[in-house]
Amino acid sequence: MNSTPHLSEREIDSVLIGAPAAGITAHLSQCGHCRQRVAEARVPITRFKAVTLSWSERQSATLPLRSSTAGSMTWKRRAALAATATAALLIGLAIPLTKSELQFAPESAGHRAGSSTAEVAAVSAPALSATMKRNSATAQAATTDVADNEQDEQIARDNQMLQNINQALDNPVESPADAYSLQPVDGHQQAAPLTELN
Amino acid sequence: MQLALNATLTNVEAPERTGSELDDIDALVRTYRPRLLRFVTFAIGDADLAESITQDCFLKAYNGRASFRGDCAVNTWLTSIAMNLIRDQQRLQKFRFWRQARATAIDVNEAANFLPSKECSAESRILIKEQTRQVQAALEHLSVNQRSIFLMRFAEDMELAEIAAAIHMPLNTVKTHLHRALKSVRAQVGGSR
Repeated sequence: MNSTPHLSEREIDSVLIGAPAAGITAHLSQCGHCRQRVAEARVPITRFKAVTLSWSERQSATLPLRSSTAGSMTWKRRAALAATATAALLIGLAIPLTKSELQFAPESAGHRAGSSTAEVAAVSAPALSATMKRNSATAQAATTDVADNEQDEQIARDNQMLQNINQALDNPVESPADAYSLQPVDGHQQAAPLTELN
Repeated sequence: MQLALNATLTNVEAPERTGSELDDIDALVRTYRPRLLRFVTFAIGDADLAESITQDCFLKAYNGRASFRGDCAVNTWLTSIAMNLIRDQQRLQKFRFWRQARATAIDVNEAANFLPSKECSAESRILIKEQTRQVQAALEHLSVNQRSIFLMRFAEDMELAEIAAAIHMPLNTVKTHLHRALKSVRAQVGGSR
Protein backbone atom coordinates (compact mmCIF):
# COMPACT_ATOMS: atom_id res chain seq x y z
CA MET A 1 0.00 0.00 0.00
CA ASN A 2 1.34 3.38 -1.01
CA SER A 3 1.62 5.84 1.90
CA THR A 4 1.90 8.99 -0.30
CA PRO A 5 -1.29 10.81 -1.33
CA HIS A 6 -2.71 10.11 -4.76
CA LEU A 7 -2.00 12.32 -7.75
CA SER A 8 -3.97 15.49 -8.24
CA GLU A 9 -5.87 16.15 -11.45
CA ARG A 10 -3.19 18.55 -12.61
CA GLU A 11 -0.54 15.93 -12.00
CA ILE A 12 -2.53 13.45 -14.01
CA ASP A 13 -2.77 16.04 -16.75
CA SER A 14 0.97 16.45 -16.66
CA VAL A 15 1.33 12.70 -17.11
CA LEU A 16 -1.01 12.77 -20.09
CA ILE A 17 0.82 15.73 -21.56
CA GLY A 18 4.10 13.86 -21.26
CA ALA A 19 5.93 16.13 -18.89
CA PRO A 20 5.55 14.57 -15.44
CA ALA A 21 7.85 15.46 -12.60
CA ALA A 22 10.20 12.81 -11.35
CA GLY A 23 8.14 12.31 -8.19
CA ILE A 24 5.00 11.66 -10.18
CA THR A 25 6.67 8.97 -12.23
CA ALA A 26 7.89 7.32 -9.10
CA HIS A 27 4.44 7.43 -7.57
CA LEU A 28 2.85 5.92 -10.64
CA SER A 29 5.24 3.05 -10.58
CA GLN A 30 3.96 2.16 -7.11
CA CYS A 31 0.28 3.21 -7.19
CA GLY A 32 -2.06 1.10 -9.25
CA HIS A 33 -5.00 3.34 -8.45
CA CYS A 34 -3.34 6.38 -10.01
CA ARG A 35 -2.22 4.32 -12.99
CA GLN A 36 -5.84 3.33 -13.46
CA ARG A 37 -6.95 6.96 -13.27
CA VAL A 38 -4.37 7.95 -15.87
CA ALA A 39 -5.47 5.14 -18.13
CA GLU A 40 -9.13 6.10 -17.79
CA ALA A 41 -8.34 9.71 -18.52
CA ARG A 42 -6.44 8.69 -21.64
CA VAL A 43 -9.27 6.61 -23.13
CA PRO A 44 -11.52 9.38 -24.56
CA ILE A 45 -8.55 11.12 -26.14
CA THR A 46 -7.31 7.89 -27.67
CA ARG A 47 -10.75 7.17 -29.06
CA PHE A 48 -11.05 10.68 -30.44
CA LYS A 49 -7.70 10.20 -32.13
CA ALA A 50 -8.75 6.88 -33.67
CA VAL A 51 -12.12 8.14 -34.87
CA THR A 52 -10.77 11.33 -36.40
CA LEU A 53 -7.93 9.51 -38.13
CA SER A 54 -10.39 7.01 -39.52
CA TRP A 55 -12.56 9.84 -40.80
CA SER A 56 -9.58 11.62 -42.31
CA GLU A 57 -8.34 8.48 -44.04
CA ARG A 58 -11.78 8.00 -45.48
CA GLN A 59 -11.83 11.57 -46.71
CA SER A 60 -8.39 11.24 -48.25
CA ALA A 61 -9.34 8.01 -49.98
CA THR A 62 -12.49 9.39 -51.58
CA LEU A 63 -11.44 12.88 -52.57
CA PRO A 64 -9.42 13.49 -55.72
CA LEU A 65 -5.93 14.83 -55.34
CA ARG A 66 -4.67 17.93 -57.07
CA SER A 67 -0.97 18.11 -57.72
CA SER A 68 1.12 21.01 -58.93
CA THR A 69 1.90 19.08 -62.10
CA ALA A 70 -1.77 18.66 -62.81
CA GLY A 71 -2.30 22.35 -62.25
CA SER A 72 0.37 23.39 -64.72
CA MET A 73 -0.95 20.91 -67.26
CA THR A 74 -4.38 22.39 -66.89
CA TRP A 75 -2.97 25.85 -67.48
CA LYS A 76 -1.13 24.74 -70.57
CA ARG A 77 -4.18 22.96 -71.83
CA ARG A 78 -6.26 26.04 -71.31
CA ALA A 79 -3.71 28.16 -73.20
CA ALA A 80 -3.70 25.69 -76.08
CA LEU A 81 -7.48 25.62 -76.19
CA ALA A 82 -7.62 29.40 -76.17
CA ALA A 83 -5.12 29.61 -79.03
CA THR A 84 -7.04 27.00 -81.02
CA ALA A 85 -10.33 28.76 -80.45
CA THR A 86 -8.84 32.09 -81.53
CA ALA A 87 -7.40 30.56 -84.69
CA ALA A 88 -10.72 28.91 -85.50
CA LEU A 89 -12.51 32.20 -84.97
CA LEU A 90 -10.13 34.06 -87.27
CA ILE A 91 -10.49 31.41 -89.97
CA GLY A 92 -14.24 31.47 -89.58
CA LEU A 93 -14.25 35.24 -90.04
CA ALA A 94 -11.79 35.18 -92.93
CA ILE A 95 -13.69 32.71 -95.10
CA PRO A 96 -16.93 34.73 -95.40
CA LEU A 97 -14.97 37.90 -95.99
CA THR A 98 -12.97 36.28 -98.77
CA LYS A 99 -16.10 34.91 -100.38
CA SER A 100 -17.87 38.22 -100.25
CA GLU A 101 -14.81 39.95 -101.66
CA LEU A 102 -14.69 37.51 -104.55
CA GLN A 103 -18.33 38.04 -105.22
CA PHE A 104 -18.57 41.80 -104.98
CA ALA A 105 -15.04 43.02 -105.67
CA PRO A 106 -14.75 45.41 -108.66
CA GLU A 107 -12.64 44.45 -111.62
CA SER A 108 -10.16 47.25 -111.00
CA ALA A 109 -7.07 46.19 -109.10
CA GLY A 110 -6.74 49.52 -107.39
CA HIS A 111 -9.58 48.92 -105.01
CA ARG A 112 -8.61 48.12 -101.43
CA ALA A 113 -10.89 46.80 -98.75
CA GLY A 114 -10.73 47.84 -95.12
CA SER A 115 -9.57 44.66 -93.44
CA SER A 116 -6.29 42.90 -93.99
CA THR A 117 -8.03 39.75 -95.16
CA ALA A 118 -10.08 41.71 -97.64
CA GLU A 119 -6.93 43.41 -98.86
CA VAL A 120 -5.38 40.09 -99.67
CA ALA A 121 -8.55 39.01 -101.40
CA ALA A 122 -8.82 42.27 -103.31
CA VAL A 123 -5.40 41.89 -104.92
CA SER A 124 -6.27 38.61 -106.60
CA ALA A 125 -10.02 38.95 -106.88
CA PRO A 126 -10.34 40.77 -110.26
CA ALA A 127 -7.97 38.52 -112.17
CA LEU A 128 -9.43 35.45 -110.60
CA SER A 129 -12.94 36.57 -111.31
CA ALA A 130 -12.19 37.28 -115.00
CA THR A 131 -10.47 33.97 -115.45
CA MET A 132 -13.32 32.16 -113.83
CA LYS A 133 -15.83 33.90 -116.05
CA ARG A 134 -13.87 33.09 -119.23
CA ASN A 135 -13.44 29.49 -118.25
CA SER A 136 -17.04 29.25 -117.31
CA ALA A 137 -18.23 30.64 -120.68
CA THR A 138 -15.99 28.32 -122.67
CA ALA A 139 -17.04 25.32 -120.67
CA GLN A 140 -20.67 26.27 -121.00
CA ALA A 141 -20.44 26.62 -124.78
CA ALA A 142 -18.71 23.30 -125.21
CA THR A 143 -21.19 21.63 -122.98
CA THR A 144 -24.11 23.12 -124.92
CA ASP A 145 -22.77 21.93 -128.34
CA VAL A 146 -22.21 18.40 -127.14
CA ALA A 147 -25.61 18.27 -125.55
CA ASP A 148 -27.37 19.54 -128.73
CA ASN A 149 -25.67 16.95 -130.93
CA GLU A 150 -26.54 14.12 -128.62
CA GLN A 151 -30.12 15.28 -128.41
CA ASP A 152 -30.52 15.41 -132.20
CA GLU A 153 -29.08 11.94 -132.61
CA GLN A 154 -31.36 10.58 -129.96
CA ILE A 155 -34.40 12.14 -131.59
CA ALA A 156 -33.40 10.68 -134.95
CA ARG A 157 -33.02 7.24 -133.40
CA ASP A 158 -36.36 7.49 -131.72
CA ASN A 159 -38.05 8.55 -134.96
CA GLN A 160 -36.48 5.66 -136.80
CA MET A 161 -37.69 3.23 -134.19
CA LEU A 162 -41.20 4.61 -134.37
CA GLN A 163 -41.22 4.30 -138.14
CA ASN A 164 -40.14 0.67 -137.89
CA ILE A 165 -42.89 -0.03 -135.45
CA ASN A 166 -45.47 1.58 -137.70
CA GLN A 167 -44.30 -0.42 -140.66
CA ALA A 168 -44.47 -3.59 -138.70
CA LEU A 169 -48.00 -2.83 -137.66
CA ASP A 170 -49.11 -1.81 -141.14
CA ASN A 171 -47.81 -4.95 -142.90
CA PRO A 172 -50.45 -7.70 -142.57
CA VAL A 173 -48.84 -10.85 -141.35
CA GLU A 174 -50.60 -14.15 -141.98
CA SER A 175 -51.87 -15.47 -138.77
CA PRO A 176 -51.94 -19.22 -138.07
CA ALA A 177 -55.55 -18.81 -137.08
CA ASP A 178 -56.53 -17.71 -140.61
CA ALA A 179 -56.01 -21.22 -141.83
CA TYR A 180 -58.92 -22.34 -139.74
CA SER A 181 -61.39 -19.69 -140.94
CA LEU A 182 -62.32 -18.73 -137.46
CA GLN A 183 -65.22 -16.40 -137.00
CA PRO A 184 -65.88 -14.19 -134.08
CA VAL A 185 -68.38 -15.76 -131.75
CA ASP A 186 -70.65 -14.42 -129.11
CA GLY A 187 -69.74 -14.93 -125.51
CA HIS A 188 -72.69 -17.32 -124.93
CA GLN A 189 -72.05 -19.55 -127.91
CA GLN A 190 -70.10 -22.70 -127.46
CA ALA A 191 -66.83 -23.18 -129.25
CA ALA A 192 -66.62 -25.52 -132.17
CA PRO A 193 -65.67 -29.08 -131.39
CA LEU A 194 -62.04 -29.94 -131.71
CA THR A 195 -62.80 -32.52 -134.35
CA GLU A 196 -64.17 -29.84 -136.69
CA LEU A 197 -61.13 -27.70 -136.19
CA ASN A 198 -58.92 -30.49 -137.24
CA MET B 1 11.79 19.59 -13.66
CA GLN B 2 14.32 21.47 -15.71
CA LEU B 3 16.28 18.28 -16.16
CA ALA B 4 13.19 16.58 -17.46
CA LEU B 5 12.55 19.36 -19.95
CA ASN B 6 16.13 19.25 -21.18
CA ALA B 7 15.83 15.53 -21.58
CA THR B 8 12.69 16.01 -23.58
CA LEU B 9 14.38 18.52 -25.83
CA THR B 10 17.38 16.33 -26.49
CA ASN B 11 15.30 13.23 -27.01
CA VAL B 12 13.29 14.71 -29.85
CA GLU B 13 13.94 12.39 -32.69
CA ALA B 14 14.38 13.72 -36.17
CA PRO B 15 13.82 10.88 -38.59
CA GLU B 16 16.18 10.90 -41.49
CA ARG B 17 14.79 12.38 -44.60
CA THR B 18 14.98 10.29 -47.68
CA GLY B 19 15.57 12.25 -50.83
CA SER B 20 12.59 10.79 -52.66
CA GLU B 21 10.15 11.42 -49.83
CA LEU B 22 9.81 15.11 -50.52
CA ASP B 23 10.58 14.92 -54.22
CA ASP B 24 7.72 12.54 -54.90
CA ILE B 25 4.66 14.62 -54.15
CA ASP B 26 2.29 11.72 -54.77
CA ALA B 27 4.00 9.61 -52.15
CA LEU B 28 4.17 12.59 -49.84
CA VAL B 29 0.44 13.18 -50.12
CA ARG B 30 -0.41 9.51 -49.76
CA THR B 31 1.67 9.19 -46.61
CA TYR B 32 0.86 12.37 -44.74
CA ARG B 33 -2.46 13.64 -46.06
CA PRO B 34 -4.79 11.83 -43.64
CA ARG B 35 -2.98 13.07 -40.54
CA LEU B 36 -2.51 16.56 -41.89
CA LEU B 37 -6.12 16.78 -42.99
CA ARG B 38 -7.24 15.68 -39.56
CA PHE B 39 -5.08 18.27 -37.86
CA VAL B 40 -6.28 21.12 -40.06
CA THR B 41 -9.90 20.03 -39.98
CA PHE B 42 -10.16 19.84 -36.23
CA ALA B 43 -7.99 22.89 -35.74
CA ILE B 44 -10.28 25.15 -37.76
CA GLY B 45 -13.53 23.20 -37.57
CA ASP B 46 -14.36 23.63 -41.24
CA ALA B 47 -14.01 20.56 -43.40
CA ASP B 48 -14.16 22.39 -46.72
CA LEU B 49 -11.62 24.99 -45.78
CA ALA B 50 -9.43 22.27 -44.30
CA GLU B 51 -9.30 20.56 -47.68
CA SER B 52 -8.10 23.75 -49.30
CA ILE B 53 -5.51 24.47 -46.62
CA THR B 54 -4.23 20.91 -46.76
CA GLN B 55 -3.76 21.12 -50.51
CA ASP B 56 -2.00 24.44 -50.17
CA CYS B 57 0.17 22.98 -47.48
CA PHE B 58 1.39 20.17 -49.71
CA LEU B 59 2.01 22.52 -52.60
CA LYS B 60 3.95 24.84 -50.35
CA ALA B 61 5.94 21.95 -48.93
CA TYR B 62 6.72 20.59 -52.36
CA ASN B 63 7.78 23.93 -53.75
CA GLY B 64 9.89 24.66 -50.70
CA ARG B 65 11.32 21.20 -50.19
CA ALA B 66 14.83 22.50 -50.75
CA SER B 67 14.54 24.48 -47.52
CA PHE B 68 13.79 21.38 -45.46
CA ARG B 69 16.96 20.70 -43.51
CA GLY B 70 15.90 17.39 -42.03
CA ASP B 71 16.23 18.55 -38.43
CA CYS B 72 12.70 17.40 -37.64
CA ALA B 73 10.23 14.84 -38.87
CA VAL B 74 8.49 15.49 -42.17
CA ASN B 75 5.15 15.36 -40.40
CA THR B 76 6.31 18.02 -37.95
CA TRP B 77 7.48 20.18 -40.83
CA LEU B 78 4.18 19.78 -42.66
CA THR B 79 2.25 20.54 -39.49
CA SER B 80 4.19 23.75 -38.96
CA ILE B 81 3.44 24.80 -42.54
CA ALA B 82 -0.23 24.01 -41.99
CA MET B 83 -0.19 26.01 -38.76
CA ASN B 84 1.24 29.00 -40.61
CA LEU B 85 -1.45 28.71 -43.24
CA ILE B 86 -4.12 28.56 -40.56
CA ARG B 87 -2.69 31.66 -38.95
CA ASP B 88 -2.59 33.41 -42.31
CA GLN B 89 -6.25 32.63 -42.75
CA GLN B 90 -6.97 33.98 -39.30
CA ARG B 91 -5.01 37.11 -40.00
CA LEU B 92 -6.78 37.74 -43.25
CA GLN B 93 -10.11 36.97 -41.62
CA LYS B 94 -11.22 34.99 -44.60
CA PHE B 95 -13.22 32.76 -42.33
CA ARG B 96 -14.39 32.57 -38.78
CA PHE B 97 -13.75 29.72 -36.46
CA TRP B 98 -16.13 27.13 -35.17
CA ARG B 99 -19.28 28.95 -34.24
CA GLN B 100 -19.59 30.48 -37.67
CA ALA B 101 -18.42 27.37 -39.49
CA ARG B 102 -20.99 24.88 -38.30
CA ALA B 103 -22.46 24.53 -41.77
CA THR B 104 -19.41 22.61 -42.95
CA ALA B 105 -18.35 21.19 -39.62
CA ILE B 106 -17.70 17.48 -39.66
CA ASP B 107 -20.02 14.97 -38.13
CA VAL B 108 -18.06 12.98 -35.61
CA ASN B 109 -20.87 10.49 -35.22
CA GLU B 110 -20.47 9.74 -38.88
CA ALA B 111 -16.73 9.54 -38.43
CA ALA B 112 -17.16 6.97 -35.68
CA ASN B 113 -18.78 4.64 -38.19
CA PHE B 114 -15.48 4.44 -40.05
CA LEU B 115 -13.67 2.86 -37.13
CA PRO B 116 -11.87 -0.20 -38.42
CA SER B 117 -12.44 -2.28 -35.27
CA LYS B 118 -15.32 -4.46 -36.40
CA GLU B 119 -15.21 -6.48 -33.21
CA CYS B 120 -16.57 -3.50 -31.25
CA SER B 121 -19.97 -4.11 -29.81
CA ALA B 122 -22.87 -1.77 -30.42
CA GLU B 123 -22.57 -0.47 -26.89
CA SER B 124 -18.89 0.23 -27.33
CA ARG B 125 -19.54 2.11 -30.54
CA ILE B 126 -22.16 4.24 -28.89
CA LEU B 127 -19.74 5.02 -26.08
CA ILE B 128 -16.98 5.83 -28.55
CA LYS B 129 -19.27 8.14 -30.47
CA GLU B 130 -20.36 9.90 -27.35
CA GLN B 131 -16.86 10.40 -26.03
CA THR B 132 -15.61 11.58 -29.40
CA ARG B 133 -18.45 14.04 -29.65
CA GLN B 134 -17.67 15.33 -26.17
CA VAL B 135 -14.00 15.84 -27.00
CA GLN B 136 -14.92 17.66 -30.16
CA ALA B 137 -17.40 19.83 -28.30
CA ALA B 138 -14.71 20.68 -25.77
CA LEU B 139 -12.30 21.59 -28.56
CA GLU B 140 -14.84 23.99 -29.99
CA HIS B 141 -14.58 26.12 -26.89
CA LEU B 142 -10.81 26.37 -26.96
CA SER B 143 -8.73 29.04 -28.56
CA VAL B 144 -7.04 28.24 -31.86
CA ASN B 145 -3.67 27.92 -30.20
CA GLN B 146 -4.96 25.66 -27.45
CA ARG B 147 -6.82 23.52 -29.95
CA SER B 148 -3.90 23.25 -32.33
CA ILE B 149 -1.45 22.40 -29.57
CA PHE B 150 -3.85 19.82 -28.15
CA LEU B 151 -4.14 18.18 -31.56
CA MET B 152 -0.40 18.23 -32.12
CA ARG B 153 0.21 16.51 -28.84
CA PHE B 154 -2.64 14.03 -28.63
CA ALA B 155 -3.54 13.44 -32.26
CA GLU B 156 -0.19 13.84 -33.94
CA ASP B 157 1.85 12.49 -31.01
CA MET B 158 4.31 15.33 -31.32
CA GLU B 159 6.71 15.92 -28.48
CA LEU B 160 6.47 19.15 -26.55
CA ALA B 161 9.73 20.41 -27.98
CA GLU B 162 8.54 19.61 -31.48
CA ILE B 163 5.37 21.56 -30.91
CA ALA B 164 7.29 24.51 -29.55
CA ALA B 165 9.58 24.49 -32.56
CA ALA B 166 6.74 24.04 -35.03
CA ILE B 167 4.70 26.98 -33.84
CA HIS B 168 7.61 29.12 -32.63
CA MET B 169 6.37 29.27 -29.08
CA PRO B 170 8.24 28.86 -25.79
CA LEU B 171 8.02 25.41 -24.29
CA ASN B 172 6.42 26.62 -21.07
CA THR B 173 3.75 28.44 -23.07
CA VAL B 174 3.04 25.24 -24.93
CA LYS B 175 2.67 23.40 -21.66
CA THR B 176 0.35 26.05 -20.29
CA HIS B 177 -1.87 25.83 -23.37
CA LEU B 178 -1.88 22.07 -23.10
CA HIS B 179 -2.85 22.09 -19.43
CA ARG B 180 -5.75 24.43 -20.09
CA ALA B 181 -6.91 22.48 -23.11
CA LEU B 182 -6.69 19.16 -21.36
CA LYS B 183 -8.52 20.46 -18.31
CA SER B 184 -11.34 21.69 -20.49
CA VAL B 185 -11.55 18.46 -22.45
CA ARG B 186 -11.56 16.28 -19.37
CA ALA B 187 -14.20 18.44 -17.77
CA GLN B 188 -16.36 18.13 -20.86
CA VAL B 189 -15.95 14.40 -21.12
CA GLY B 190 -16.72 14.08 -17.39
CA GLY B 191 -16.30 11.28 -14.99
CA SER B 192 -12.67 11.98 -14.44
CA ARG B 193 -12.99 14.77 -11.98
